[in-house]
Amino acid sequence: MAHKLVRLGFIPLIDCALPVVARAQGFAEAENIDLHLIREMSWAAIRDKLSYGVYDAAHLLAGIPLAARMGLGGMPGQNLLVPMALGRGGNAITVSRRLYQRMLAVDPVAMKGPRGHTARALKKVIEDDRAAGRPPMSFATVFPYSSHNYELRYWLAAGGIDPDRDINMGVIAPPRMFDSLRNGWVDGYCVGEPWNQRAVFQGDGVIVALKDDIWPRSPEKVLGVHETWAKENHETLLALIAALVKAAEWVDQPENRNELAQILADESHVGAPYDIIRASLEGRPVFNQGDDPVDAPDRHVFYRYTATFPWLSQGMWLVKQMQRWGQVPATVDAAAIVRQVYRPDLYREAVKGQDVALPAKDWRIEGADNAPDRALVGPDRFLDGSVFDPQLSD
Amino acid sequence: MKTEAFSILVIDEDPDRAAIVERGLVEAGYTRVSRIGTSFNLVERVQALAPDVIIIDLENPDRDTLEQMLQVSRAISRPIAMFVDQSDNSMIKAAIEAGVSAYVVDGLRQDRIRPIVEMAISRFAAFDTLRRERDDAKARLNERKLIDRAKGILMREKGLSEEQAYALLRKNAMQHNRKIYEIAQSVITAFQLEF
Repeated sequence: MAHKLVRLGFIPLIDCALPVVARAQGFAEAENIDLHLIREMSWAAIRDKLSYGVYDAAHLLAGIPLAARMGLGGMPGQNLLVPMALGRGGNAITVSRRLYQRMLAVDPVAMKGPRGHTARALKKVIEDDRAAGRPPMSFATVFPYSSHNYELRYWLAAGGIDPDRDINMGVIAPPRMFDSLRNGWVDGYCVGEPWNQRAVFQGDGVIVALKDDIWPRSPEKVLGVHETWAKENHETLLALIAALVKAAEWVDQPENRNELAQILADESHVGAPYDIIRASLEGRPVFNQGDDPVDAPDRHVFYRYTATFPWLSQGMWLVKQMQRWGQVPATVDAAAIVRQVYRPDLYREAVKGQDVALPAKDWRIEGADNAPDRALVGPDRFLDGSVFDPQLSD
Repeated sequence: MKTEAFSILVIDEDPDRAAIVERGLVEAGYTRVSRIGTSFNLVERVQALAPDVIIIDLENPDRDTLEQMLQVSRAISRPIAMFVDQSDNSMIKAAIEAGVSAYVVDGLRQDRIRPIVEMAISRFAAFDTLRRERDDAKARLNERKLIDRAKGILMREKGLSEEQAYALLRKNAMQHNRKIYEIAQSVITAFQLEF
């Protein structure tokens, strides 16, 4: 059988692991897919190329296909689909060493943890700056519709900070983050690994919260495809999903993590030092240069906890965050948008007959930490203990 | 030639390409053209220049920063939007293929923006051709160097004249349906292996 060419664009981040491994370890080949990987440096570029057929598939921020469907960002509405998730990512919030020392000085109690509440110390620093007439600080995320934006805002708001009034919020592409911190252009950021560990290893930044401290099930990267391509290449899409799920299973095996770090470190993939990628993948991140690593076993989850399942309730959370922060009018029918974009039916079809753990329903009450499905979905707690009911019906 | 009052900002990490685009725009009568490379304070610089139109290479990571400006109108005094003519998908496709994207201040008429974007697309495409020709020329130079080395080896090792050495390479290339420089590479490799 002839191999079907699939062109897939990705951004250099640890969570590009599934497409990279699907190719490198032969999972795509086994599904008769000739997977071409193209490295991109900008989310806008990858979105445009997917929208206009330069790529067949893409490693995308979960918010991008939703935003594209709503015609946000000045593009005509694009019918992008999310047939699977690509793991839960490895985001963190990193601040400059100088800001970390100020946070520690003004509120050592808050800085002792839990880390979900370290923004309380930041609020005091902001108040000091305001009283002294100093200009507001600048924070960066990676894209307007990124989970990083919503995670950082969630953390800030829980600490009593208004992200739109108390600080400047900007956008910087991931590979440029640590240089921006080093050069003092931003005071802190939320980005995926290895771009937090990199700042720590260089002594420029200190991690103050992990994604797990904010909401471990927060949606992260997804597989994006165009609806037209998906319709015309249904069997290829199912094969691609199957290959990526097998890659996820391989990636989650602890004994494969060294090899994974080697594959990812390559200049054609992430292009960051092996040691930094390894430290992050091992689930033992270093928060501050010279400190002992901290145990964070769920730092990078690719397969277990339904990390590849495109949960409708996660899509709902994203649209609700877009509405919370004024990116989308409150009148938009979130459920209708999510059901058009998120396609768990395609995922279920692709893994049918395989030994892949599937939830009974396509949505759940998010943040319900001790629900009966805990073994399946893993720890699930918002930093403020709230729950998110997507108000969907079956 | 009429002069257009638009101010245009060209953002490109490739200064040569930016210069070609700038020259094209100026020659077409757009006199207020500025350009910047990679910069950390993009938002401030865009604010200070207050361009009506921004031309930026499609793959530039600064686009993600610009997209933030699309949706946070308070970040700039004049909101900008991505240039897209909803009625004309072929133009968007042409822009993407040429590697160009454009952002315009809200409210500008599409028919006044179109010539600017079309100019950028044609200049990007022309630059691409130039770069390919330059790369080809470089490759041809390398091929010639390989052939000269192989000739030298054959003259030294087989006692051939330069003409005879070249004729031998050429004959082999024809017999094996290969390029002369490929045969030259094989000769060099073969003699490197004999030590």
